[in-house]
Amino acid sequence: MISFWTVVERALAGPICTERDFELNVFVPNLRKAIERHGIKYDSQNPVPADDDLADRVWEAGMEFLVETGVYCVDTERRILFRREEIEGALASGPCGRVFGEGKDARVMPRRVPEDKTLPWCSVGPTSSPLSSELYYVNLVKAHAENPLGDGITMPCLTMVNGQPIVGGSPLGIEGAIRAVLLTREGMRRAGRPGMPIVNGVTTAARAQEHIAAHRFGIRQTDALEIGTIHEMKVDFDTMNKVAYSLAAGNLIFAENGVILGGLSGGPAGVAVVTAAYNPVDLLILRGAVQHPFPTHFDLGVTSARDTIWARSVANQAVTRNSTLPVVNVGYSAAGPMTRMLFYEHCAWVIASVVSGGSVEVGASARGTALDYTSPVEPLLASEVAHAVAGMSRREANDIVKALLEKYESQLREPPTGQKYQECCDPVTGKPKQEFLELYLDVRREMADQFGIQFSSASPYL
Amino acid sequence: MSDKAMFERLYNAIIAGDRKGLEQAVNEALKEGIAPSGIIEKGMSPGMKEVGDRFARYEIYLPEMMMAAEAWEGAMQILEPKLLESGSEWKRLGRVVIGTVKGDIHSIGKNIVGAMLKMNGFEVIDLGVDVAASAFVTKAEEVGADIIAVSALMSTTIPQQKNIIEHLEARGARRKYCVLVGGGSTSQEWADSIGADGYGRTAGDAAALALKAVARKQKGARA
Repeated sequence: MISFWTVVERALAGPICTERDFELNVFVPNLRKAIERHGIKYDSQNPVPADDDLADRVWEAGMEFLVETGVYCVDTERRILFRREEIEGALASGPCGRVFGEGKDARVMPRRVPEDKTLPWCSVGPTSSPLSSELYYVNLVKAHAENPLGDGITMPCLTMVNGQPIVGGSPLGIEGAIRAVLLTREGMRRAGRPGMPIVNGVTTAARAQEHIAAHRFGIRQTDALEIGTIHEMKVDFDTMNKVAYSLAAGNLIFAENGVILGGLSGGPAGVAVVTAAYNPVDLLILRGAVQHPFPTHFDLGVTSARDTIWARSVANQAVTRNSTLPVVNVGYSAAGPMTRMLFYEHCAWVIASVVSGGSVEVGASARGTALDYTSPVEPLLASEVAHAVAGMSRREANDIVKALLEKYESQLREPPTGQKYQECCDPVTGKPKQEFLELYLDVRREMADQFGIQFSSASPYL
Repeated sequence: MSDKAMFERLYNAIIAGDRKGLEQAVNEALKEGIAPSGIIEKGMSPGMKEVGDRFARYEIYLPEMMMAAEAWEGAMQILEPKLLESGSEWKRLGRVVIGTVKGDIHSIGKNIVGAMLKMNGFEVIDLGVDVAASAFVTKAEEVGADIIAVSALMSTTIPQQKNIIEHLEARGARRKYCVLVGGGSTSQEWADSIGADGYGRTAGDAAALALKAVARKQKGARA
């Protein structure tokens, strides 16, 4: 694989192009051409297709699109171009599974393929959801770390420091990022899992300097830093600075791509192709140990809509059949905690992801943006479902996902708000309310009775 | 070609985002003696509205809206001098200064809102991403904006929306502009807490808010 520094050279010396030209005269026509050439069409009736040929066509379309388009560097206003041989070289030498975490908490991140019986990796945690209090922060991390199916922790996002709102790029941003790491480590220690890996370092950090500062206060080499591309097929120096630092520090990288359905990539077919194209970009530019996709609906702000589930499923199948880089899917659901709908949404996208070759990060509620609207309970059920459906056929999963979509998709625009963490759980002890546990058990029974999902007895809430 | 057929051609060129085709149709319409205001009102504007409606129904997406907006702007470069010559002008619904706040580089949501506003007849001045608070205010003052639309995705960048309102207050210009906020981490509660005039969760919400804001402003001016 070509070195990161060769990529940097290309960012500095590649073909000059305005951002507008890149978007409308390069990206859009190349994507349309690739979709048409390979006959990729969205099928709303089958959110989890079982079509290997479609998956391989999406992959091929993605590779052709990447070669023709490249990646745009917004700081230099140049395109970073890759030849097909360089892409193949990256794919041939990319990682195919890594160990994250340390001591007794170390776990292997597996490479999976569609319908794989290998248990998926489960990252648990609030998935960067904003929190108002350090007490909630520690208790939430602790509760997630107590989920025995959780392999890694996702940090929430701290919003206040010393009573002041955190402003990214300011000293409060540095302090917030450092404190977030320390609080996460403390939460895991309290759960008796001090070696559990952080997999989204460092959420409260907006900029490279905040990542670097926080790294010195508790991010380990066995943790992963989360570094993302810019919508779509763009990077900037701040992103590349994070990569440069992570390479020097020896950290693993979760390479994040949240393609926007309705944005430059257009509809579900475009989202699937661009997500596939990101796979080698994640190797070549972000130097990822994991591809971390979350195709998100532009209007609904979720990954649990029918068209985003289709795009995710198809892209997962395309990538996992053709690349060894493990995929960990992230999910953003619309409903708030302690609602039946949130359980359904999480289960739908998790099932689609796992049977399509992915692992999962479960998962954000209330679109991952509403202050304190997060809980450890729904992600627990989602992780149980993720394990239970490993090895399930895509056809069977398709029927379940369709049935789940029918239960909630009409409410995606105006979902039930649910309750804040401090309302649905005791904020001091961290324990969910009895009523919440009953809802969890009820949905769990429903998943078993209606869909035949066989759960293990690992849940701490049984 | 009948006027009706010409208006249909203009309408279709907007929907197709066909800048060259639209410019050609505009030139031919002018040659045939159709008034510039008629070209806009009966051909191009209905096309823009249709593009916005199709986007709202998820039938088309951002690229189609961007192309339609580009086609519109190309045509207006031909039509604006003609409007001036004829002593009339095309009155846009309002003028919006839009951007993503300092420290935030997320552009797609802002671009979708900007395109949606154009489809609804607004002039949109896009400052891009990572925009300083003072730049929003300076540009709004310079162009005589009606609305300042501020996007921020992250919980650590939304405080910059409040900063813009404080800059407006410091310049004694707060009451001149309707300030709309949006982006992933924002909410109605947040908008209320910082004294913004409106919050839009979606691009459709933003367009509706902008329409209401200019209607309020015009009503205020008449009163």
